[in-house]
This record gives sequence, C-alpha cells and structure tokens, in this order.
Amino acid sequence: MLLDAKGVSKSFQGFMAVHEADLRVEQGEIVGLIGPNGAGKSTFFNCLTGDLTPTEGQVLFDGHDVTRGTPEAHALRGMGRTFQVPATFQDLTVLENVMVGAFLRHANRHHAREEAERVVEFTGLAAHAHRPARRLGTPGRKRLEIARVLATRPRLMLLDEALAGLTPTEVHQAIELVREIHRSGVTLVIVEHIMEVILSLAHRVVVFNQGELIASGKPEVVVNDPQVIEAYLGKRKTSASV
Amino acid sequence: MIVIQVIVEGLLLGGVYALFSSGLTLIWGMMNFVNFAHGEFVMLGMFAAFLTMTWVAGGPVLFTIVAAASLFVLGVVVYFALIRYVLDGPIIGQILSTFGLALFLRYAAFFVFSANFVTLPDTYLSGTENVLGIYVSIPKLVGGVVGVLLTIGLHLLLTRTAVGSRILAVAENRDAAMLMGIRPDRMQALAWGLSAALTGVAGAMIAMYYPISYGVGESLALIAFVVVSLGGFGSVPGALLAGILIGVIESLSAYYFGPAFKDVVVYALFVAILWVRPQGLLGTA
Amino acid sequence: MKRGWLLLAVILLGAPLVVQGPFYQRMITLVLLSAISASAWNLVGGYALQISIGHAVFFGIGAYTPLVFYQHWGYVPLAGIPVGLLISCAVAVVIGTPTFRLQGHYFAMATIAVAELVRIVVTNWKFVGGAVGQMGPAVPRTVWDLTFRSSLPYYYIYLGVLAVLLGLTYWISRGRMGYYLRAIGADERAARSLGVPVRRYKLYAFMLSAAFTSLAGSLYALMVGFIDPTSAFGILISVEMVITAALGGAGTLLGPLLGAVILVPLQNMTNSLFGGGGTGLTYILYGGIILVLARFEPGGLLEIWQRWQTRRANRAEAAEVARAA
Repeated sequence: MLLDAKGVSKSFQGFMAVHEADLRVEQGEIVGLIGPNGAGKSTFFNCLTGDLTPTEGQVLFDGHDVTRGTPEAHALRGMGRTFQVPATFQDLTVLENVMVGAFLRHANRHHAREEAERVVEFTGLAAHAHRPARRLGTPGRKRLEIARVLATRPRLMLLDEALAGLTPTEVHQAIELVREIHRSGVTLVIVEHIMEVILSLAHRVVVFNQGELIASGKPEVVVNDPQVIEAYLGKRKTSASV
Repeated sequence: MIVIQVIVEGLLLGGVYALFSSGLTLIWGMMNFVNFAHGEFVMLGMFAAFLTMTWVAGGPVLFTIVAAASLFVLGVVVYFALIRYVLDGPIIGQILSTFGLALFLRYAAFFVFSANFVTLPDTYLSGTENVLGIYVSIPKLVGGVVGVLLTIGLHLLLTRTAVGSRILAVAENRDAAMLMGIRPDRMQALAWGLSAALTGVAGAMIAMYYPISYGVGESLALIAFVVVSLGGFGSVPGALLAGILIGVIESLSAYYFGPAFKDVVVYALFVAILWVRPQGLLGTA
Repeated sequence: MKRGWLLLAVILLGAPLVVQGPFYQRMITLVLLSAISASAWNLVGGYALQISIGHAVFFGIGAYTPLVFYQHWGYVPLAGIPVGLLISCAVAVVIGTPTFRLQGHYFAMATIAVAELVRIVVTNWKFVGGAVGQMGPAVPRTVWDLTFRSSLPYYYIYLGVLAVLLGLTYWISRGRMGYYLRAIGADERAARSLGVPVRRYKLYAFMLSAAFTSLAGSLYALMVGFIDPTSAFGILISVEMVITAALGGAGTLLGPLLGAVILVPLQNMTNSLFGGGGTGLTYILYGGIILVLARFEPGGLLEIWQRWQTRRANRAEAAEVARAA
C-alpha cells in the first residue's frame, strides 16, 4: 500500500473540518476525491501533503510515518502535489520552473536542465519553454504545475482540481496527460468537481461530506449512491465548471 | 520602596507603549503590513504637541486633539498615496515603502527642527503626586491611564461597533467583505487613520515627560515591534498586555542595568521571543 | 554581451588612472566599497527576497574586529578579518534561524533590533573603545598592515573583492541555489511543495551575505583606519546598502554596482551643496528615492532598462513582421 491515511482528523479552534477520515491508495491506482464545497476535501488533502498537520490520526507513505512531515519532506519521499490556484513562479520561464522541480533529484545544473527539458517535452509545453510563466494562460500554468511536480519524480501525485476552469477540449487534453503520467508509473489522487474527469480517469472514488468520508467505491457505483446524491454531488455537466 | 516605584513607572510607561503598539498591530493583522515608519508617527505626534503649545499656547487637551487629528490625516493620506499601491506587490516594495517614508519623515523633522532636543513647557499636569508613599509623576500617570483606556477603547471599537466589525471583516477576508457591500479601501484607510491618530495621542503623552527630537522614532519603533510580536500578530488585547509588560521590563532594566542598557534588554527579549514563542502571548501558533 | 563585460572590466581597471587627484580617487574607491556592501546585501535581499534593514551589524562587526586585533594584541588588522566573518555568520544564524520560518516582516524587524542591540553594547563596552571607537595603525609597520596613504591600492583590493563576490553570485545564481532562492522569492509555498528546503537556503544566503558584508566593513576599516559605533552600526549604513542595491536593481548582478556609481557621487554632491544641513537633505532625498522606488518600480533602474529593451525588441519584431507582410 502506497498511501495509508488512518483516522485523520483536523480541527481549527474547535471547528472540526475533517473527522476520522481514512484513505488507502494502492500503487498504480487513480483515486478520485469528490464532495461538495466546504466538505473538508481540501483540508484532508492538505493533511496528506504535509501542508497541514492532522490533529489526530496517522498518514503512512510507503510504510513511513509522514503525519508530521513538512511539504519538503513529502516531496523528497516521492509525494508531489499541485495547487488549486496555480502557483507557478511567474517571473521564471517554463523551463526554469520545471528545473526547480528537477533540482530535487539532480544537484547538477546540466542534469537538472536535461530532466526538465524531457518533462517539458512530455507534457507538451516545449513550444513555450522559454516564455515566462506569467505569460501562459491558466490552462498552460496548470499544465506547467503538473510538469514541475513531475520533475521531482513523484511516486504519488496529488492533483488539486487541476482541471477546473478548462474548456472541454482542454479537459480532454488534460485527461490524456494524466493518463500518460499514470502510464509512466505514477499513482494519482485527484480532487475534482468535473464528473467527466472522475468517471473517465478514476479507478476508485471516495466522497467527502461535512468532514467525513461517506462513500467509497467504483465511480459508477458511487455516483448513483443515494447518500452521495443527497450530499450534493456538484456539477454533472461535462462542460467547464464555473 | 524604590522597586515598587520603578514598577509603577513601568506600568504607566507600558500603558503608552500599549497605545501606540495597538495601532501597529491593527494594521498588521488587517493587511499583513508592518508600518516601518510607525516610530516617526509617534515622533510627529510629539512635535505636534510641542508646536501646539509654542504657537497657540494650547494645553494638554488641545495638543492631544491636534496630535490625534493631524496624525489621522497623515495616516489616511499615507494610505491613499502610498500603501494602497504596494499592498499587492512584492514584499520588498512593502517593506521599503514605509522604511523610505520613515527616513523621509525623520530627516524632514531634522531639517525643520535640527538635532536639538526640545521639551514641552510645564502644563497644569506637571509635577509629582505622592500616592500611598510612591512618587508618581502626573504626566506619566495621565499618559499611562489614557494609554490603557484608549487601547481598551480601540478593542471595544473593533469588537462592539458596526464600524469596527466592518474593519474586522476586511481584515479577515477582503473579497468576502466586498461582496457584503463593505468597501475595503475605505476601511483600510480608516484603519490607517485610526492607527496613526492613536499613535499621535501616544506621542502627545510621551512629549509631556520625554525630550523630543527627530530621532526618537527609531527606538520607539523597535519597542512597538517587540510589543506587537510579544502580544501576538493582530491582537489589540495582546498589545495591551505586552505593552504593559514591556514597560515594566524596561523600567526594571533601567534600574538594575542602567539607562544605557534598558533597550538592550528589550531587544534581546525580542530575539528570545522569536526563538521561543513567535506567536506571542495571545497569538495562535 | 561579451564585449559589454570587457568594456566594464576596462573601465573598472583603468578608472584610477584616468581620475585625477586624491579626492576623486577616494570617491571611486568608495564607489567600489559601496558596491561590495550592496552586492552582499543583494544576496539575501535581492535574490532570496528576505529584506534586511539592519545589515550594518555585519558591516560593523567586520569593521571592528581587525582594528581591535591591532589595538589590543598588535596583530596586523588582516588577522581580525576571519574572526569578523565567523562572528557575523554566527549572528546571521541567531537572527535567521527563528525568523525564516515566519513571515518576512519578522526578519526585517529582527535585523534592526539586533543592529541596534549591538550598537548600544559596543558604545558602552570599554574594551572595544566605547563611544570613542577604535583606531588602526597610523603608520604602517609592514606592508601587511595594509595601511596606505593613497587610495589606489585600496581601489584595486576592493575591485578584486567585488570581482570575487560578483563571480560567486553569478555562479550561485546559475546553479541549484540560485533557482531555489528565486523560487523561494517567487512563491515559498510552491517551493516547499517541490522539496526546496526553504529555511536552509534562506540561511545559506543570509550567512553568505553576512560574511561579505563583514568583509566590506573590514575593508572600510583598513582604509579609513578608524571606526566608531555610529559609522559601524548606524541605521544609515543599513539604509545605504538597501537603497544602493534597490536603486540599481535588487536581484540583478550589476544593479548594486550601478546604484553605487550613482549614489556615492550624488551623496558627495548633496553634502557639499547643502553645507551644514547637508546630511539632512541627503537622507530626505534617500527616503524619497526609496519611497518612489517602492511605489513605482521595486525592480530598480535595471528593471526599467530591461522593460525598455523588451519594448524595443517587440517593436522591432512587429516592424519586421509588418515588413514581411
């Protein structure tokens, strides 16, 4: 088991945002994480990535206890993440952005650059390699974030609404990219609102509502679960979400 | 007992420290912005009191009002002319902006008043009073009490009035506040004006018992930084508590280590706070 | 591009031969010293974007140690320089370690607090001369005392140090540390998610910056032969470093040098123009410059130059496209 989160709870000054949530991810899986807004998905997500420390519970990555680990330590161990609002380094070029990721595994400038070029090619950003990140549109920056994390050679990638705000065509392209990444051996946990993405990519889906895990299983099954429907599943439309 | 005297003086001094630090912490908590010209605001408040006395022969009430009003205007002007533009920019711009302002104000004061120290003439508040065997300087007593009262007043304003809740709303979430019809720009400018006004009053109080000069802002700013860090980011009650505490510590340090080293103790305490408990007394980790 | 560097090298190497008279020779030497301090500040303030406004503490430590070594134990002042470096690095660790995990304002506040702390302590410490200060060799005993009557030897020593500092800065900026520092400055949270050990790298940058600032202070003490608490640890020393780097362009390689070239002569000019009230006006001007920079162009002059260049290139490109059509 690659990721094993047990009984994770997180409260902020008395308010419990996440209550005893479990998540198990096997190597090679793509797990979708869905739920209405405010359900605690992001908080739980951040507890997994090290950006927040759980109030209770345990997160094991590849057998190692990473519950109190810092985001840097997570990245070193092979867990990478993207951000809901793209956090690219605006004044650095696309290639330089990816190089920052590559430097985690390659101390040497030239090796890092080679790796970065490889990843830029792989993610279809080669045409923009020398453009500053701020000049890419949002879809480009989302793609860049993915490329950047990829350069850190993660074994597990956690994507936080990486496909939100994209046009239908862009969504299809992004789905393809995620498939490619999966094929290259990366395990994925995806937080998404867009049902098409979840249905086409996820092997398994877990549903959050009001801080608790309320369902888990195959996408088609979960989607029709009355409890889940009741919890307000979010947009079923396949067009770009608001 | 001398020590009691020293502590009482420290408490009173601390009241004034709490007052001018409360403004700093309000701005910091609200806009994630530290005003590096804060010391100069106090200095200007001191000079405002001085000028009111020398030009208009006004008494403490008048010069306090003048200090408060003129600093309020300055705070609002500084917000609209400068702060508003650097808030969303890189942090180097933020820090440099008020740092540059501090320099500018400090040396403008030097240019106008030169390096001489000036003191306020005596007022009806001057003198000492014997309270239960302790000699308390009346200006310091007034300063301390006014300081504490106004700091508490600020806290009440923020937590119990409509205006205060609007300010706090902007502090918590600017965008959400906008959606509720509150104008962040106005509230932020108001906060700046308020912060500066309180600082002006603090300056007017201090002017009654400390000599005034262009450079006093430097150490006062550092005291404000220590107080807001000890009190906790954005916490006005924290500033009250920490201000009084720092006042006492400084007073005791002056007594035991000599006046030259009183500041050293406070600055060293600052570094210690950063190491041990950066969130301060009332801040959250 | 290569020709630009060559030209710069020629100008810097040849300047003292062109400039006549001890006054102007001293001035260009001070330009270099200012460039060294500002470039050292630039490492932490420009590249790592951790704004220090109390950097004078390192300058002062570097200035005092050689003179104390000479005054008390008769050593050549040079011997005190490594000690100054070590102490400065230690102070950097004390300031940086707790503050680099907090928001940037804490770091800025801590730097002035410590600078003031040290200034007061030194002013009251008899061993290092108290308020009076320390003096260096009035007459050189050997050449190793590095006490020269003319500014020229100092000019070339400073130039050598500046070249090393800029070379090191360049080398760092191209490697992992440079990328990591820029990432930290751009978006710390994102940098951490990519495995960047943020605190550690900020500390490296700060320690390096402290060391070179200390060296600058030592070089200053060698030339001037005298130091006191105000000229060592005063806020104006810190201000000068910041404004010199920021005016030219914080985060660029040559920005600090550009700033020094402009500000040192400017300060000389305002000092002589305004006579007695001169110092006041110089700093009013400095304050105003910093204000304007912060408000309009935090990137400094080189940024303005960059943007103008890009606009010219874009216009040329557009013209070419129009012609081809």
